[in-house]
Amino acid sequence: MHEIIRLVNRNLTISLNMGFVIWQIISPLIYIFVAGFAYTALIHQVPFGNKTLDYPAFIATGMIGFNIMNSTLISGIIIWNDRRHGMFEQILVGPFTRAQYILSNVYTVGIIGLVSAAMITAVGYPLFFKQVEFNILTVPLVIFASITGSILFGSIASIISTRLKSSEGFNVIINTVFLFFAFVSTAFYPAQGAPPILSTAFYFNPLTYLVDVVRAGIFGYFNGLVATEMIILGIGAAILFLIATKLLSKLEL
Amino acid sequence: MYCIETSLLSKSYGDFVAVDGIDLKVEQGKIFGFLGPNGAGKTTTMKLLTTLIPPTGGQMNILGIDAISSPLEVRKKIGVVLQQPSYEPTLSVEKSLEKYGMMWNVEKKIRKDRVEELLSAFDLVDIRKKKNDDLSIGQRRRVQVAREFMHDMDLLFLDEPTAGLDPSARRGLLDFIKSKVKDGLTIFFTTHILEEAEYLCDDIAIINKGKIIAVDTPEELKNKFGREKTIKIHISEQKNISSLLSGIQDCKIEYDSGVIITVRSSQSEQVLQNILQILASNGITVEDLSVVPTSLEEIFLSVVKNSNA
Ligand SMILES: Nc1ncnc2c1ncn2[C@@H]1O[C@H](COP(=O)(O)OP(=O)(O)OP(=O)(O)O)[C@@H](O)[C@H]1O
Ligand SMILES: [Mg+2]
Repeated sequence: MHEIIRLVNRNLTISLNMGFVIWQIISPLIYIFVAGFAYTALIHQVPFGNKTLDYPAFIATGMIGFNIMNSTLISGIIIWNDRRHGMFEQILVGPFTRAQYILSNVYTVGIIGLVSAAMITAVGYPLFFKQVEFNILTVPLVIFASITGSILFGSIASIISTRLKSSEGFNVIINTVFLFFAFVSTAFYPAQGAPPILSTAFYFNPLTYLVDVVRAGIFGYFNGLVATEMIILGIGAAILFLIATKLLSKLEL
Repeated sequence: MYCIETSLLSKSYGDFVAVDGIDLKVEQGKIFGFLGPNGAGKTTTMKLLTTLIPPTGGQMNILGIDAISSPLEVRKKIGVVLQQPSYEPTLSVEKSLEKYGMMWNVEKKIRKDRVEELLSAFDLVDIRKKKNDDLSIGQRRRVQVAREFMHDMDLLFLDEPTAGLDPSARRGLLDFIKSKVKDGLTIFFTTHILEEAEYLCDDIAIINKGKIIAVDTPEELKNKFGREKTIKIHISEQKNISSLLSGIQDCKIEYDSGVIITVRSSQSEQVLQNILQILASNGITVEDLSVVPTSLEEIFLSVVKNSNA
């Protein structure tokens, strides 16, 4: 077995506990069903490209992106725990390189992200199936979004975990950053109709791009804006991944 | 061929020199003890040899491989138990051994057998289902050391493996290590417990302030640095001993209570003979006599003290 596969196997074993899986499923379900139906009274219809969506369909697709982002917290937690419990050093005196360690975290996050996306798609499907327009772009777009989103947010979580010393700091900062991403984005509500400052802020947030690409795939609406968003997502993921790798390989032992 | 061979190996942190140009030669199939006071540079040396950190100077060859240009090749062939604890908090004891074997690409069937073997060798059977997070410090250390034997290796680095272990766990570990050396393993070992080094090691190096100040077998170290012995003689009656013995050379004599004479000498055999002769010819009987052999601990203390001076 290849080194990276062995490390991914280990990463999955240590991080997939009951608590995490439940959190990973329950929290988006609460948003989809509770928020989805509660806010329908306030937000009836959401314009999306050439069609209008019901709010529950809108939020269910938003939750796919939200869930991909959430699952990348794992990458930060793995690195953080490995440093705290001495496993980072132990792995690096083993038959592995730092690059393999980093890549294994990215793959772990990618796998969890993809599975989460599939899960939420399955759960949310009854809510948006009426408006779904599958075409040949659907699967590639959703997979592209899952992978670049995993790398991008996984890198952010990794960067935070290499920069911090105390565990309180780690939890507070990572939760604050991700909370900001979640609520200042188009995951929960559309940019149209939001105050101009907020809707501008939405587009300084990678989760917005991630969610837009997922929706473009599921509702079959692809245009120049979506293509631009994909390019930005790809470049952002590449840059953040390089920074994370650099920081991790500079980490003093 | 040597398993470990370094020349002028150095590591500096800014202006501070943690390891200062050390030359080491460790033969295959031997247990090499690496001793030194706190902060001497033992762990730093071990991190250099295991390629965890890069040196700032010098050469090192591990198992015939240039460890500076091919660190990964070296790491594939060595085992390392660092001084710092390391564990998977969420896994059970047996699962963490199993997964560690998997990480080293050990075949599943062999893994299973080794887990059982190590659980019993390290007295972990009763706690095999416990999570590492819930273990005591000493139990966790045992798991950490046991885990390293999940995979095959040619050279094993142990940085104070017995720290925190109780006497029977410690003895068990030392004997386990001895048995592995019989099978051809080479071991690089640091400890602060000198009896341990004496019991286990074929060769010993003492490091202080980043420099090696002595290397030899425990026996030779004693011969070189531990020639001075302490002799205590308990005599029956208080006579004018000090004037009787004043002519004896090459020693320091203390007359504690008048009936106990303490003699320190590096020519203890000769000095003892002379004293006994004088006592006998003056009709003084010896009630008790003891010669305190020099322990490695005393040598350690004196060698380190000399190098600090
Ligand atoms: N990352 C670092 N930055 C600066 N100084 C360091 C660093 N790591 C170690 N040192 C210094 O190098 C010296 C040697 O440390 P080392 O850990 O090798 O000691 P040691 O012999 O293992 O001691 P102990 O018996 O306490 O384990 C110490 O003075 C330590 O403060
Ligand atoms: Mg040390």
